[in-house]
Amino acid sequence: MHEQIKKISLAVMEKLKDADSLNLINDIRVKFLGKNGEVTALFKNLKSCPPDQRPKIGQLINDLRNQVELAIKEHENKVAEREKNKKLAQETLDITLSKKTRKVGALHPLNQVIEEISQIFIGLGFAVKDGPEIELDYYNFEALNIPADHPSRDEQDTFYINDNILLRTQTSAVQVRIMEKEAPPLRIICPGKVYRPDDDASHSPIFHQIEGLVIDKNITLCDLKALLDNFARSYFSSQTKTRLRPSYFPFTEPSVEVDLSCAICNGKGCSLCKGTGWIELLGAGIVNPRVLEYAGIDSKEYSGLAFGMGVERAAMIKYGIPDIRLFYENDYRFLKQYR
Amino acid sequence: MKVPISWLKDFVEIDIDEHQLSDKLVNCGFEIEGIIYLKDRIQNVITAKITKIQPHPQADKLNICTVFDGEKDLTIISAAPNIKEGDIVPVALDNAVLADGKKINAAEFRGILSHGMMCSGAELDISEEEFQGAGIDGVLILPKDTPLGEDINKIIGNDDIILDIAITTNRQDCNSILGIAREVAVVTGKKLKMPDLSYKEIDQDINDILKVENENFKLCSRYMAKAAIDVKIEKSPAIIQKRLKAVGIRPINNLVDVTNYVLIEIGQPLHAFDYKLLKGGKIVVREALDGEKITALDGKEYTLTSKNLAICDEEKPVAIAGIMGGEYFSINQDTSSIVVESANFARDSVRHTSKQLNIRSESSQRFEKGIDFLSQEVGLNRALHLLDKYGWAKVMKGVIDSKQREIEKQTIQTTFDAINKVLGINVSKEIIVDILNSLEFVLQVKDHELTVEVPSYRIDIEGVNDLAEEVIRIYGYSNILPSMLENARMTQGGKNTEQKRMDKIKSILISHGVYEIVNYSFISPKSFEMLNLNKQNPLRDAIKISNPLGLDMSVMRTNLVYSMIKTLVSNITRGNKTLRLFEVAKAYIPKSLPLNELPQEKSILCLGFVGENEDLYSIKGVVEDILATMNISCEYIRADIEYLHPNRAADIVANGKTIGYLGEVHPKTLENFDIDKRIYIAEISVDYILENALDFKPFKAISRYQNMERDLAVIMDIDTPVKEALDLIQTNGGDILESCEVFDVYQGEQVPKGKKSVAFKLSFRHFERTLKEEEVNAVINNILTAFKTINAELR
Repeated sequence: MHEQIKKISLAVMEKLKDADSLNLINDIRVKFLGKNGEVTALFKNLKSCPPDQRPKIGQLINDLRNQVELAIKEHENKVAEREKNKKLAQETLDITLSKKTRKVGALHPLNQVIEEISQIFIGLGFAVKDGPEIELDYYNFEALNIPADHPSRDEQDTFYINDNILLRTQTSAVQVRIMEKEAPPLRIICPGKVYRPDDDASHSPIFHQIEGLVIDKNITLCDLKALLDNFARSYFSSQTKTRLRPSYFPFTEPSVEVDLSCAICNGKGCSLCKGTGWIELLGAGIVNPRVLEYAGIDSKEYSGLAFGMGVERAAMIKYGIPDIRLFYENDYRFLKQYR
Repeated sequence: MKVPISWLKDFVEIDIDEHQLSDKLVNCGFEIEGIIYLKDRIQNVITAKITKIQPHPQADKLNICTVFDGEKDLTIISAAPNIKEGDIVPVALDNAVLADGKKINAAEFRGILSHGMMCSGAELDISEEEFQGAGIDGVLILPKDTPLGEDINKIIGNDDIILDIAITTNRQDCNSILGIAREVAVVTGKKLKMPDLSYKEIDQDINDILKVENENFKLCSRYMAKAAIDVKIEKSPAIIQKRLKAVGIRPINNLVDVTNYVLIEIGQPLHAFDYKLLKGGKIVVREALDGEKITALDGKEYTLTSKNLAICDEEKPVAIAGIMGGEYFSINQDTSSIVVESANFARDSVRHTSKQLNIRSESSQRFEKGIDFLSQEVGLNRALHLLDKYGWAKVMKGVIDSKQREIEKQTIQTTFDAINKVLGINVSKEIIVDILNSLEFVLQVKDHELTVEVPSYRIDIEGVNDLAEEVIRIYGYSNILPSMLENARMTQGGKNTEQKRMDKIKSILISHGVYEIVNYSFISPKSFEMLNLNKQNPLRDAIKISNPLGLDMSVMRTNLVYSMIKTLVSNITRGNKTLRLFEVAKAYIPKSLPLNELPQEKSILCLGFVGENEDLYSIKGVVEDILATMNISCEYIRADIEYLHPNRAADIVANGKTIGYLGEVHPKTLENFDIDKRIYIAEISVDYILENALDFKPFKAISRYQNMERDLAVIMDIDTPVKEALDLIQTNGGDILESCEVFDVYQGEQVPKGKKSVAFKLSFRHFERTLKEEEVNAVINNILTAFKTINAELR
């Protein structure tokens, strides 16, 4: 019996050596461990052994069966692994090729800039507001302290529908509308389309502005400076600085022009900033108390700051776009650059 | 405004260079648009001595001149008759530029190379008064002691530097040399020297010879006049001519030049007329009669209306107030006695008249910007000073000064704290006082309180914010230190629900490969024809712009589809043939026309697809995805829209309301755009979606049990919409029908004529247990039975 066990054990090892496919391995499993397999036969022969040796021999046959099972299993795993690798090796693809799939689209670059700037101010508690584009003279001019004979009306040409209704020339027109409806404290930005009759490489008869307005007690020029510094750093780079220059807008007093240190040359002077190191981007100031009064807000108690910027200009500076008209041609090759 | 630095120096000492001066002006609120060096106008013209003159062998009228520039000889071919050997003359070398911008190059004259050209006074833009000999018709002969090889600008004194300063509309008081000098004095800490206003007078009194009747104080708040006799008309001296030319005004004669000189120097427009031509010895300031005519100094006849203010004698207009004098009354060689007018005309009246008659002048431009009350007197006296100083006239005593009232001094009561509260920094009391004093504000200080009397020329100063601006623009904006809303209350910011929904819609569109476009809000009225709109279509009721840039941009669009098709077409013609575009913008819908109240501005989403793989279903798929994400259920109903294919268009209907449409563009419309590609379009009301969207539905439990799928291939009539079969499946599917979709539609050889085969995939699932075959079979049978009502059966 011992002899037989040993012989079977060797035979299994020998057969497995040549078995290089899962089918052959299975044949071996059937041959030795199947119903009529050689190991199974040993169990059947056990009753021909003397009864006192049966437990011991039984134990030996059991060990044999476990050993055979393990050997087959191990070999089987090895072969299976080899076969998988072989299959993978055959599945080669040229990864430099691509399949034609639908690619994502994109927001228009102007709306991307509006979104980016809006998010900077949303982070500071600003709400986003909107107003009509076809606007009353009152909101676009008069309530902003620009009465009918005001000289600054001449500088700013306007598209008129009739004497009283016009296409808004500035998003500042939203200021008084919001102040009439909502009580301070107010922090709002108003992005939107505005219209002026100019048409060349740096002027479009329709363009976009973002107006900002803060109304509360104790608002000062220092707050304005901080807000604009923060905007400049967030939108351009952490190195960008702002410079305030005195200027004039009827709806702010004091009024300032805001220059940003040139993003291209970092203030050293280049063609974008015409050698000055500074780029004019915003108009701003402390809200003229007259405007607060027009909106029904007590200018003794409240003060405010306001700023406005051209979106096209902000986009042209950031992306180096040379001609404003590109934004309105909507050429797919242009749009695709801003995914 | 052009400001020669030499002129500024009449009123304030300047010991810094032009760049430092510019920086100081920028920092106090004056934008410098440019620094102009007068010498740049004339380039590469030098002095040289004529050493030899020989006749040109090939040309009778030309001479070959040898000139010596101090180092070498040059050859100049010249036709000038007034030169002789030994003369020193200005020579324009190769690449020279003359005063009128003309370029001079070396050139051959009949076979002989000329290195340049000898110049006349006119070519250097100098007159006899400015440089002796410059007035003759020929080459300018320079004095014998002129150094050779010298830049001609140096010799003729053409060396001024001019600042081109942008004056903001609130600072009309700085629209003059004196006004800028006043600011320069403040920012450089120098003292302002006032112009000399003195002159001698003769015994005759203007009031004896002239009466002024001002009938309209509203449009003419002040009318001053002085008279002078024994007037001599001649050329102005060099300094006046030079300065006028430097600021772009052509010198004419001493009287005209003086009025222009004072206009630039003091900022007060003046007008001089010939006294003896005035009928009735009087001047009437009145509204013109409708149809009254005047021939102005520009030689053109203007017809006035009652909306124009006129300066008249007893009979007719002498001048269009503040704009231009009449030709008849103008100063001429025979003028011996003059009236000089110095008035303040209302800016809107001048602007209106100037626009109406389409004339502009230096004078009208000043009045349109607004001038102050005091400059009438200063300007008038300055002019008389000049007339007297140069001996050009004898000034009569007395003055006519017609004004309704004295100007009231404006005072502002405030505190130092109030000024600092605007600034946000603490500027000391002393500095505030110093700055306001330097700006000629008269102060009374009592502890923290401050009473400020505003100089009469500062009509822009109204309150404490203006004073704060005066302080900080002189103190310096670099002193403003950032403080991020430290004393302000926090606010709830961010986007509102509608704005967030809009963002979501756009992100869905982007994920479907759609690019956003931005188009003009105004379009051509021809767009209605291009879209083949019916004559009664309300979309034709577009708002017209009264002053458009052109017909193509003259009406506010009532939908976005025209712009979308145009954008697609322009892309296709540029070779961009596969495109998905969208625009979200306003359509402007008037409540009535002509507009008497603000129109409705409706937000619309417009989609436009073109390309080989696009069809009606691809655009519909994107629309369905948006609406499904917004949880708005819709039906698609065949629609009849002028610019859409009659069999490929659908209204999008939600809750019985049409909220948009989609379809293929009608071939006839495409013909109008000259394009032969199929274009798919959709327009949907964004307002409806944003208002009616549901951001999420209530939670629905998910079944843990396996589903069963069944495919049904059904033969049905070609004209029966699949939607009818889908509805029957829904209504007969019972509780266990989980979903149903169409995965194939076929018509052709395999199915009978007039029929189509539609394949549905149905999924069944029970919430609480595994389904049994029989249950599903029973439902399928119900569905098939119901199909008989639409003549559909299993294939």
